[in-house]
Amino acid sequence: MSFFAPALAVLLLGLPGEPPDEQAAAEKAIQTRESFSVTDEGSSVAGLRAPGSDWGNLLLLQSSFACKWKDRWRFSSSLAAFTKTQDETHAQVRWREMYVGLSAGELDLTIGKRLQRWGTGYAFTATGILDPPRTAADPTDRLSLNEGREMIQADWIHSSHAFNLVWGSAGLLERHRPGMRETVAFRYNTLISGFDAAAIVAYDRGGPAFAGANFTRVLGQAVEVHSELAWREGAAVLLGGKYTHSSGVTIIAELYTPPNTAYYRPTGMPPSVGRQHYAYVRTSKSRLRELPGWKEWDVALSLVANLDDRSHIAVCDAGRRLGNHLYAHAHAEAPAGKRSASQYGMIPYSALISVGVRLQM
Amino acid sequence: MSRKSPLLFCCGLLVARVAGAQSVDAQALVERSDATRNGWPSYGVRVRISNYEAGKQDEEHLYQVSQKGTEKTHVEFLSPREKGQYLLMLGDDMWMYLPDTSRPVRITPLERLSGNASNGDVARTHYALDYEATYLRAEKVEETNCHVVELKAKRKGSTYQRIEYWLRVEDARPVKAEFYLTSGKHIKSETFDEFQKVNGRTLVRRTTIYDCIRKSSRSVMEYSGFAPREFPDKLFHQGRADRF
Repeated sequence: MSFFAPALAVLLLGLPGEPPDEQAAAEKAIQTRESFSVTDEGSSVAGLRAPGSDWGNLLLLQSSFACKWKDRWRFSSSLAAFTKTQDETHAQVRWREMYVGLSAGELDLTIGKRLQRWGTGYAFTATGILDPPRTAADPTDRLSLNEGREMIQADWIHSSHAFNLVWGSAGLLERHRPGMRETVAFRYNTLISGFDAAAIVAYDRGGPAFAGANFTRVLGQAVEVHSELAWREGAAVLLGGKYTHSSGVTIIAELYTPPNTAYYRPTGMPPSVGRQHYAYVRTSKSRLRELPGWKEWDVALSLVANLDDRSHIAVCDAGRRLGNHLYAHAHAEAPAGKRSASQYGMIPYSALISVGVRLQM
Repeated sequence: MSRKSPLLFCCGLLVARVAGAQSVDAQALVERSDATRNGWPSYGVRVRISNYEAGKQDEEHLYQVSQKGTEKTHVEFLSPREKGQYLLMLGDDMWMYLPDTSRPVRITPLERLSGNASNGDVARTHYALDYEATYLRAEKVEETNCHVVELKAKRKGSTYQRIEYWLRVEDARPVKAEFYLTSGKHIKSETFDEFQKVNGRTLVRRTTIYDCIRKSSRSVMEYSGFAPREFPDKLFHQGRADRF
């Protein structure tokens, strides 16, 4: 805990009350953005099938800082420091992002550690070659603990066309997917007749080449469709859509089938089981403003299912705003399936409940 | 006076009224009124929204809006709980950039509506482009002579299906508005309370939005820091990861 106190003091002292007025800021050479949050979350599991405590606590301190000099130079950093208590207490500091950028007309150059998401899927991705690993049960990374990759990136944006060339280091990828090497990736992204479409090619040193494409499109007032198609030793396909009812209830559904290759295979899944098929459904409502007393509530229910081994995990999230700075949340997970031979049945508990509160400055 | 005279007089009045109505170009009126919220072809403005519940302030939101032309809007969310979020509107296409997902998420027009004041109220300010205007009548609002025009959505990115809009006869300055859903339900009303002079232009300073479903709710929108600014096109590209 010793590193928290000085870090907290520095961050709190350094935080200005409100960003300066844009008119004044436009005339200033340097513009800054900063945020700071503290989250405390307690978790309890039921039916634990592994040695260890059935409760835990996470104290998470996060800060981000970005500055821009004359619309030309940029610096951005995002830090997450946390202590996790479960039997024992462990502390860890993660630099989620830290990079500098230079803008020269239509060209942007960036060097450093950066979170990048090229996939258009919500719970799954086939084309997110540089994305952090995505967990279908927590696709939004609700505690914001994902880390970026060290990379050098050149972006050229002209009109509605964007060209991105990236060299990504092996450092983080190696940790999550052993055996991978540096990645060189290129993406072309454009907007044509409402289609936000991208084509991606990539090459991992020592690994197979990758090619893919994705798009999103909004139809009418309420429907969004998205899809990803990728090839890397085999085809990975994602089809998804989102529907928003006039009441504000939003439903997201996705079907995803990756090949069972080293790149796409989830941790713990044997190579012998063949191609997998997944389904994802999420129903959510943010701001239940129509119901008296529920104006500040957000709720979401989701289900991820492996259609081959018939295992699934149900997830429920609820949150309540408390004034301008506090947010209380609850998260529950209930995996089900054959305990010895299914993806979600192998999760070593039958239910997990987390309750937390976040202070955001 | 003959027996026919009153009838002729009434017909004359009716003709004069219809002719008067037809002589008012509703679309031109709306274009003029748009100038009170869009002072320059390319500009920045800061918008503060304070929500009140039963007369008591319960939350506050702060946005930095960057507008380029009539089709490109970039909204940065600055209040503590929303920091790091951005809304991008390119014509009818919209994306929400959430710090949790580190990527722009495509959103539908219906997803944009929330709260007393919606994102559309902040980012969609060119009514003349989004709506077809029809002249309805002349009417007094308190002591102000107003034209009343009806606005009907003509593109899918329009925030509302129908608006009744009161504009001051003198200079087409907006006085109040009523917003309706497709079903005809009256959901919100807005009054334009204060204006400010910026570089010789009259621009809105404060409006109040009244929730017609939750009668005890209202939102006050305050505009500050209006200034002409040049923005690079890349700020408005949906694929750009770096939004600040």
